[in-house]
Amino acid sequence: MHDIGEGMMEMGGVFYRRLIEFLPNFFVALVLFLVGLAIARLLGFIVLRTFKAVNVDRFWESAGIREVLARGGVRRPVSVELARLVSWLTVLVFAVIALNALHIPVIDTVLARFFLYLPNVFAALLILLAGLVLGNFFSRAVLITLVNSGVREAGLLARAARVAIFVFAVTMALEQLDIGKISVLIAFAIIFGGVVLALALAFGVAARPYIREYLSKRIEEGKGEGDDHIEPL
Amino acid sequence: MKDGVLREEAQERVREIGHADIVVGIPSYNNAGTIGHVVETVRMGLARYYPLAKSVIVNADGASTDGTPDLAAPAAAGGTADAPGRPGIRAISTPYQGIPGKGSAVRTILELACDVGASACAVVDADLRSITPEWVGLLIGPVTDSGFDYVAPLYRRHKYDGTITNSVIYPLTRALYGKCVRQPIGGDFGFSGRLARFYLSKRDVWESSVARFGIDVWVTTTAIAEGFRVCQSFLGSKIHDFKDPGVHLATMLYQVVGAAFDLMETYAGVWKRACRSESVQTFGVVRETPIEPVAVNVPGMMERFRLGAQELADLWETILGREIVSFLKKLASLGEKDFFLPDDLWTEIIYRSAVSAHRKVINKEHLLKSLATLYIGRTASFVIETRRDDAAAVEEKIERLCLAFEEKKPFLVKSWEQDKEVSPCTT
Repeated sequence: MHDIGEGMMEMGGVFYRRLIEFLPNFFVALVLFLVGLAIARLLGFIVLRTFKAVNVDRFWESAGIREVLARGGVRRPVSVELARLVSWLTVLVFAVIALNALHIPVIDTVLARFFLYLPNVFAALLILLAGLVLGNFFSRAVLITLVNSGVREAGLLARAARVAIFVFAVTMALEQLDIGKISVLIAFAIIFGGVVLALALAFGVAARPYIREYLSKRIEEGKGEGDDHIEPL
Repeated sequence: MKDGVLREEAQERVREIGHADIVVGIPSYNNAGTIGHVVETVRMGLARYYPLAKSVIVNADGASTDGTPDLAAPAAAGGTADAPGRPGIRAISTPYQGIPGKGSAVRTILELACDVGASACAVVDADLRSITPEWVGLLIGPVTDSGFDYVAPLYRRHKYDGTITNSVIYPLTRALYGKCVRQPIGGDFGFSGRLARFYLSKRDVWESSVARFGIDVWVTTTAIAEGFRVCQSFLGSKIHDFKDPGVHLATMLYQVVGAAFDLMETYAGVWKRACRSESVQTFGVVRETPIEPVAVNVPGMMERFRLGAQELADLWETILGREIVSFLKKLASLGEKDFFLPDDLWTEIIYRSAVSAHRKVINKEHLLKSLATLYIGRTASFVIETRRDDAAAVEEKIERLCLAFEEKKPFLVKSWEQDKEVSPCTT
């Protein structure tokens, strides 16, 4: 009984010593986290004001991103969303610093890996954003050009252009994140190559009579039948 | 000749000529069928109306592949000082440099006119079939005899010709700047040496739409907005080769209307102050002249408009607002008998487009090109409305549209100045 009691006392002593050693780190971590929350809030406010001042919402609107985000359920102005993102990133950074202040070896190792991986996440996010912007821009350009050329399937082709660009961006982002690098590339190559081959076959074999009809119609139109001769200028 | 666009051989020719009183420029691109006639007619006009003046005919060509410059040179050569009984008319044929388009050709002509110190100039298109020697006198006379700086053309045209002019540029220019210049983008115009120097001093415009189809609206608007003395001359019928079908209507619309919208930015202080329009002095005798018939495919136009309304409605909503687009969608479902786009609504569409371009709501090229099918719809509506009308009745309807533009101008001024969404449509 005496040994057990002594053992318990010793363990209690070790726990107490460790707690005493840990508590200052914990309080430092807590303070850091609280300071981080305050700074995140302040930064969010400053970023929101700055974005409003430089009218960043108009830029996003003109690039068509607002419309895409709204379709995805994000209804708040982009400036607000960006300010929130900055705010949360600040919270995340301070949370990581706070965890680091605890000096727990396992957490240190995980954090080191996390920090090494973080640039990949940002790069992937940027690639996705660029894909979104470019996809929207080119989809709109395709839509307008095809409508002005009188192509009935303009909407469908424009959507296809947007999806193609976005799929390309997603593939690049996944590659950046090192997720299924080879399988993603192979899948993309198979899908892309398959689509091109299918289109080539459709145009070359299946749609031959339609294309012949279409081309002869266009050539006839080119000869002036049914055309306007209004001079616009 | 620093920062100039004249090629070495053209500069050499300018040095040979030294000074000239009058310069007539002819921008060309693949106009082999008409260039000889145009140059010959200009030469006759110069000989008849300015026998004592030293004149230069300039052909600024955009690298034609059909031998246009080779045909222009001999036609002009008949008028050199060496030919017996002919006045001192010199000719220069030079390829222009810069962005391919009429504007770059005009820039070359302006530079040459300034280098030879011309006091009066004119530009005529190379595809004209109805040009007469009188055109030279009518475009240059108001400058040399009456002290005007800019002479706009006034033509008799088919009621369906010049649809961008009639439905957008004329009403807009008139409402904005207060001068009733009937053909602000006619293509042929006269101007003083003073104005030529002013045009050339604007070095930042030659890389924009002004270098292409935007040149005509730019020369007219700049002359009016900068307070130069402006008049117009009745030239008779304008019959010319049909524009290159390869040039898409949407591109034309983008360049012309885009240039007009850019000018609204440049001269915002001027057009906001202009209250009502006034007529400008007209030279020449306005009379009936023969015009060519125009083929119109109304069902085809309506079909194009319907496709636009179906596919571009969301985009139009960003530019024009929900109420207008809901009207346009309804319009798209109507048959030919009921198809009508009223003047008030069309005016608001143009004004809202200008404001959206000003606010950079979407990329400007997308904005203007997306309006092409809408413009086709308006043209179809106009053709249906005026089918049985004669030229005078059609002119009255265009006048009514101009008044709608003038009446709604306060809406444009207010919307332009507001930094928020355009207020809901009242139509």
